[in-house]
Amino acid sequence: MTHTHEQEKKQFQRLFRNQGVDQLDARFRVLEAFLTLEHHVTIDDIMDRVASAGDRMDRGFVLSTMELLCRFGFASKRQFNVNDIQYEHRHLGLHHDHMVCTKCGRILEFRDEAIEKLQLKLADAYGFLMLQHKMEIYGICSECLAKRSDVVPLHKAKTGEKLIVNSVISGKNMQVRLSSMGLKTGDMIEVVSSGFGGQVVIAAGDNRMVVGKGMAEKIMVQPFGPMKRAGHIEEDSQAEASLPPVKLSQMKTGQEGIIRKVSGRSILRRRLLEMGINRGTKIYVEKYAPLKDPIELVVKGYHISLRVEEAANILVDNVRFKQK
Amino acid sequence: MKKQLTIALAGNPNCGKTTIFNNLTGARQKVGNWPGVTVEKKEGSMIHGDYELKIVDLPGTYSLTPFSIEEITARDFIINEHPDIVVNIIDASNLERSLFLAIQILELGRPALFVLNMADVARARGIKIDEKKLSMLMGLPVVFTVGNKNRGTDRLVEAAIEEIARFDEGKKTRQIRYSNEIENCISKIEKMIPDTGDSFEGLTRWIAIKILEDDKIIKARLAQLYPGAADDILNTAQECRNRIYRLFEDEFEIVLTDDRYGVIAGIVKETVSSLGTTRMDISRNIDLVLTDKFLGIPVFIFFIWAMFQLTFSLGAYPMEWLQAGVSLLSDNIDKLMPASFFKDLLLNGIIAGIGSVVIFLPNILILFFCIALFEDTGYMARAAFLMDRVMHTSGLHGKSFIPMLMGFGCNVPAIMATRTLENEKDRILTILMTPFMSCSARLPVYIVLAGTFFAGRAGTVIFGLYFTGILVAILSGRIFKTLLFKGQDAPFIMELPPYRMPMLKSLVIHMWDRSKMFLKKMTGVILIGSVFIWVLSNFPAASVDTDGRFDMLMNNIRSDYAVKIAHAENKQAAATLKQELETELTILENKKEQQKVAQSYIGRIGKFLGPLFRPIGIQWQSSVALVTGFVAKEVVVSTMGVLYGVGHNGGKALEKALKRSGMTPLSALSMMVFVLLYVPCFATVSMIYRETSAKWAGFNLLYTTVVAWTMSFLVYRTGMILGFG
Repeated sequence: MTHTHEQEKKQFQRLFRNQGVDQLDARFRVLEAFLTLEHHVTIDDIMDRVASAGDRMDRGFVLSTMELLCRFGFASKRQFNVNDIQYEHRHLGLHHDHMVCTKCGRILEFRDEAIEKLQLKLADAYGFLMLQHKMEIYGICSECLAKRSDVVPLHKAKTGEKLIVNSVISGKNMQVRLSSMGLKTGDMIEVVSSGFGGQVVIAAGDNRMVVGKGMAEKIMVQPFGPMKRAGHIEEDSQAEASLPPVKLSQMKTGQEGIIRKVSGRSILRRRLLEMGINRGTKIYVEKYAPLKDPIELVVKGYHISLRVEEAANILVDNVRFKQK
Repeated sequence: MKKQLTIALAGNPNCGKTTIFNNLTGARQKVGNWPGVTVEKKEGSMIHGDYELKIVDLPGTYSLTPFSIEEITARDFIINEHPDIVVNIIDASNLERSLFLAIQILELGRPALFVLNMADVARARGIKIDEKKLSMLMGLPVVFTVGNKNRGTDRLVEAAIEEIARFDEGKKTRQIRYSNEIENCISKIEKMIPDTGDSFEGLTRWIAIKILEDDKIIKARLAQLYPGAADDILNTAQECRNRIYRLFEDEFEIVLTDDRYGVIAGIVKETVSSLGTTRMDISRNIDLVLTDKFLGIPVFIFFIWAMFQLTFSLGAYPMEWLQAGVSLLSDNIDKLMPASFFKDLLLNGIIAGIGSVVIFLPNILILFFCIALFEDTGYMARAAFLMDRVMHTSGLHGKSFIPMLMGFGCNVPAIMATRTLENEKDRILTILMTPFMSCSARLPVYIVLAGTFFAGRAGTVIFGLYFTGILVAILSGRIFKTLLFKGQDAPFIMELPPYRMPMLKSLVIHMWDRSKMFLKKMTGVILIGSVFIWVLSNFPAASVDTDGRFDMLMNNIRSDYAVKIAHAENKQAAATLKQELETELTILENKKEQQKVAQSYIGRIGKFLGPLFRPIGIQWQSSVALVTGFVAKEVVVSTMGVLYGVGHNGGKALEKALKRSGMTPLSALSMMVFVLLYVPCFATVSMIYRETSAKWAGFNLLYTTVVAWTMSFLVYRTGMILGFG
């Protein structure tokens, strides 16, 4: 690092002189102070460092210097959702991405070749010329995670957290109300946003609902195991990426999938819905009749038969052969 | 005086509703049709403590939308007849889907009770339901039963009575809340519905939902009740629907259905826990054979063959006994009563007429026992599953196969078998096509004609006729489908229920219900019809023999021969003379009969219609025979025997007479085609009338006649052109 820092100081003097920047010495001291600091720093951090070196500078000057440093490519400005504006060293030819803890504000740098390559590949696939990218992963760092108790009330959950409803500490009425909203113990929910006066917006399946503060305090949630979740994501994304939705009529005996869409005439659609063939339901093709029409299906644990032409109205995701 | 309460039983098909109904009412039940529609209605009664309970079995449905008669019937009953409580029977092993109907029943605001039936099956499948929690969530009592072992029935009745009492004290049904957007729409409409305390009273929320769901029936009724406010309400509802459509890109009713399933999923998750020990699925294993790619259809054909054999071969024995009984009865009456006009009416009209129908009873009992067996075990749905592809080519449902097939035996039970079809259109279509299935009564006609004119190839000809019948039926089906039943088919979405052990009691009740209906309905129509036909074929009888010409002739011959025999040289000669006398008498007797039939009204009708039959190569004797064939197809042969002067039991003599009469193989073929396709027998037509309406029965008469004539015409004329005349 010291080597690159020396190199940068030299470049600074040459560049700034050529550009006719004033108060060169003072600005150089700001750079030096900045370079002694590692990782992500705020204006206040730099002010402190400058002050500890015995200089007295006003905040406006430091700010304008940092802007200049950014402009000439010595620093880069970062604004993560959770913190104030921060600066970090910008070393030429070196790139990294960030993980930001939404709880303590800690920022982790990382670099993953696979991701870098994947990004280029992806951009290429879309015929897109990638110039630069920013990747920020928000979450809870390992330390915070270790400190945190397993079960917390919903209003303490962070935006974006995926949780499982552990229990509802309340009377009968609210339980009824919640289950009629479609929220019950064991459900997986995602916090869409929180922190506006205690109101929490959550997503349960395809449903979005607002839970007031009072209610949120009574809904105890626990995190979805991170490892399990990761596995889940991988599996899902693979299935989705490689398999486009298929018409039910094209599925083969022994395949199963999740119903994505039911279309067709209104009467047919309603009949299907009444019989339990609705969006999000798992459907399994038991067999075709000996004359290839109708199809026997298993939905919600019972068997149903459907003509092939009618089955063509049902679009199924994640089609795969059922594992025995 | 006992207090009277009405309990309505509602539930999905196959949830064991009928079993519970049978448990509750035992033999005290009435079967009929719901007024105006041909959906079976069952009512029964029972006494429990101080209460006299009237129990009504509503048709089995999956929902209360207004798309099928069953659903409308069930819903109208709950709204209009105000049963004291609706007992919703739920297949415990299938809670999620059952709750869909349950929620809709709750919305009707009547006192309700959940019965989790087949609790044993659910437990065996490893499903545990927390009934206390379910009861708490839905706000109504929940009772477990095992229908086929008659467990929990008493508890059901008690819970129902308690719940009615609770409602009398002011309890209200718990409302199911949906998502905000939906609720906003509902409350908007709810506020607009005027509160005037009529039949809609207390149903505003339900009505609001129905209007938003674009329910035509409710909308019409709303317009009727509140002519002023209706337009406003409907406009607002349309706005709401549009809004929902914009938001969710789907119609209101679909969004609501999704929402309902959301609520249900919540309830299920809260109340059902899986024990994890799912036992082996027996039904699936049975289906490995019964709906197998290769074995499925052969096994099905075997079952159908067995059913056919049982119905018509085994049924033939009791049929003979009944026939013997009927003839014994008429013989005795013949001996006991002096000859009179009334005696003739009684013997040849009433007893012969009713007798000809009653003898079908064994067939019908066996057939319905088999059908009940198929239905109760769950095989019927598999049969439809197997045959749907075939039947669908003529626009029919897979289940139509069984009635059509039974038609080869006898059209009367076949038409009754169409009751297994839920959809009215399918049923009417099947009923209209069934008469083209050549019934066993038509076979004697083919045997005589084909035997006479196509001696060596009779079998082929008869097979060809059967095949033609099937072909005409399929073509007719297609024509009806495109011309008469325009619009879309009802979707073929059918549950394949798990196989169940049938209960003898329920089989017998099923069988008896339908057979009883057959007897009851048939006797009335048949009685009138038989008398009518008797009059037609016996009048103006007086004109035939008033002058006693034949009697005189016969007497003359008798006395002539008496003299001859007396003077006979030896015994042998006397015997020969006696035989001669017999022959002479028979000839006269036949002539008398011939004259009688020819001059009767029915004969006159036949002769009158003669010109119509000439273009298709049928002589007047045959046309009279065809007219009398309306009574029953077998009669065609005996009438021909009479008219060709060889008596009732023609046999070889009839064959000779037919050959002499100038009938050609071509005209015989034309006649057979006509017999195959023309108006079914009187019993069948009245059955069609009973099962559908006068309109369809009339249509059937007309249609079959036109088709028969056209086909015969084509056969005859083509034959003539090709030089077979």
